[in-house]
Amino acid sequence: MSILDQVKQTIADTLNTSSSSITKDSSAENTDAWDSLAQVNLMIALEQTFDITLDVEDFMKLNSVKSITKFIEENTES
Amino acid sequence: MKQRKNNIDKLLTINSRREFREQASNWHKNLSLPDAQVLTKHLQKLESPEHVFRLGIIHTYTSDLLDPWLNFHAAIQGLALHTYHAPYGMNIMESQAGSGLSAYKPDLTLFLLTREDLHPELSKPIIEFNHEQQDRILEEVVIRLVEILAKFRANVPGQMVLTVLPRILPAALGLYDAQADCSESVWWSALKKTIASRFANTLESSMLLDLDQMLVELGRPQFFDLRFWYTSRFPFTSQAANELARRVLSLAAVSKYPKAKVIALDADNTLWGGIIGEDGINGIALGPEYPGNTYVDFQRRILDFQKRGFILVICSKNNPEDVQDVLANHPHQVLREHHFAAQRINWLPKHENLTSLSEELNLGIDSFVFIDDSDHECAIVRSQLPQVQVIQIPAKPIDLPACLEQISRLEILSLTEEDLQKTQLYAQEHQRQNFKQNMGISGDDISDYLASLKMKMSISLNSKEHISRLTQLTQKTNQFNLTSRRYTEQQMLQFIESDAWTVCAFSLADIFGDSGIVGLALFHHLNCSETEIDTFLMSCRVIGRQAESAFLNSILDRLASNGVTSVNAYYLQTSKNGLVASFYKDHGFRLEEDGRYARDLVESPVDKALLPPIDINIVD
Repeated sequence: MSILDQVKQTIADTLNTSSSSITKDSSAENTDAWDSLAQVNLMIALEQTFDITLDVEDFMKLNSVKSITKFIEENTES
Repeated sequence: MKQRKNNIDKLLTINSRREFREQASNWHKNLSLPDAQVLTKHLQKLESPEHVFRLGIIHTYTSDLLDPWLNFHAAIQGLALHTYHAPYGMNIMESQAGSGLSAYKPDLTLFLLTREDLHPELSKPIIEFNHEQQDRILEEVVIRLVEILAKFRANVPGQMVLTVLPRILPAALGLYDAQADCSESVWWSALKKTIASRFANTLESSMLLDLDQMLVELGRPQFFDLRFWYTSRFPFTSQAANELARRVLSLAAVSKYPKAKVIALDADNTLWGGIIGEDGINGIALGPEYPGNTYVDFQRRILDFQKRGFILVICSKNNPEDVQDVLANHPHQVLREHHFAAQRINWLPKHENLTSLSEELNLGIDSFVFIDDSDHECAIVRSQLPQVQVIQIPAKPIDLPACLEQISRLEILSLTEEDLQKTQLYAQEHQRQNFKQNMGISGDDISDYLASLKMKMSISLNSKEHISRLTQLTQKTNQFNLTSRRYTEQQMLQFIESDAWTVCAFSLADIFGDSGIVGLALFHHLNCSETEIDTFLMSCRVIGRQAESAFLNSILDRLASNGVTSVNAYYLQTSKNGLVASFYKDHGFRLEEDGRYARDLVESPVDKALLPPIDINIVD
């Protein structure tokens, strides 16, 4: 699975929605279930799924499929 | 990562909740949030839940983030969980009649509080205060807490569980803290102890769930995630959230499922390593060296469970004399013969032995937890007796001592004096049976035997002293129970304090010992001459000594002298109480057309000459 697909899957699992409802353009702004609580759970889920550690400063920036995918591509070896 | 993935894939192939629960060591730690959510969906698809459970949460930090973990553990326990998160804050409004919480009618209300909520002074370090001030603050905290919780108690039904978040930062004086005269940790322990005992004495169905216990088990870095605390006021790591949810749902499961009462233990490779029949008493692993020391600790743990009120029995395939030899003579054996209420050491199939143990102890087979190392024995008991909870001993001795820690049904919500003495009480019953056999008694003529027991019954009326035992009796008694109505301590207190109810309980002593409180009857007075028996039950421990007749007739006689002329009663049939189907008919009641039993105390008064040979004392 590509990183993009893994990111979409993780977001869908965390928000408890179907994976088809999350696209490469989804973000907190355009996705109802992606509220501030879901954002916290998403940060936990990303850390655990991709085996990375996030700084508090990253939390607010990682609010779209695009920004998350870019961050993970830059911070993991594939 | 890979290992975790394999583990999850394996868990996803499990197709029953029961099997999932038995794999506890695989899911209780290091589970990621997405894993838990995937497993929750899997579990919810498997079987429909057995009970609904309504959870109310009062919180002064973010509680919604616990939801995925609460839902995960509810799915494991087979509970359909509904959760109400009260508006943020220590909100007294929620304790009012008609509040969101009281209208929600929770089965359990969880209080997630921080130290600062307990007392304004607690935002400062407690070491600032001298002993006198510390004592004053402690007393004020406890009084305030009990006052607040009493308000909730008055209008909100169900169990109340209080938690107080440990300090986010370690002890004020660091490594030196334990040495200090006004040590924070010492003060904190004293506070918890006082809260717990004050709860037990003044607030029904309330308990303190000690988060410090979790902090110690997980370790501070695995317990707090400061990033989420400082940004979202959510204190827990996934591991801590998982464990807290597990504990809360364990309490839920204990209250919703049949009580476990008996722990049935295999011997070889369970109580010790090796096979006694082959390795001999000097060859089995049991003692100070590895792996014998893991078996010693496991036995100590079993003894802890006995102290929680579980009855221990042996169920093993051995020559009885081999096992007896270890129980009596092995220097490192912890569990001795007197710790076991009954034994089945023979070559019969284990499910037959469990059935006969259930008959001997008069305890339902669904109250048994069976522990064995063998795949084969575990499988046969699972298939022949699906009501029995089967726990297979882990393959590695190192995993043995802690292997029972995740079993919800081995948790308890209360502990009475009777619980502590239970095995002893069953041993007395065993002596009674031998005594009866030695008297050569057969058939129905047991009056000589009963007279020789020199029984004394003490009946208490509307006494609050043993309220937790009385409540426990309504919750645990299945066989000798005419209506099987289950009550909480809160309800029991209302009965005791109400003039419209009489709460009668009895204890029974004989030449072999004292049974403690074993019978309960709740009389609901409809008016000054008419009474209804709401509840009549007796512990199976005293079945066969005619105590029920003595108890019922003594109270009816007392009621008659107080002007009661007519008594109504009901037999509500369940799958377990067939034993008492003809109880009221045998005691002078007439079955009416509407299904109730009735007795007119004027037409058919109590004939004292016909009462069993029991010396009765009624204490008002």
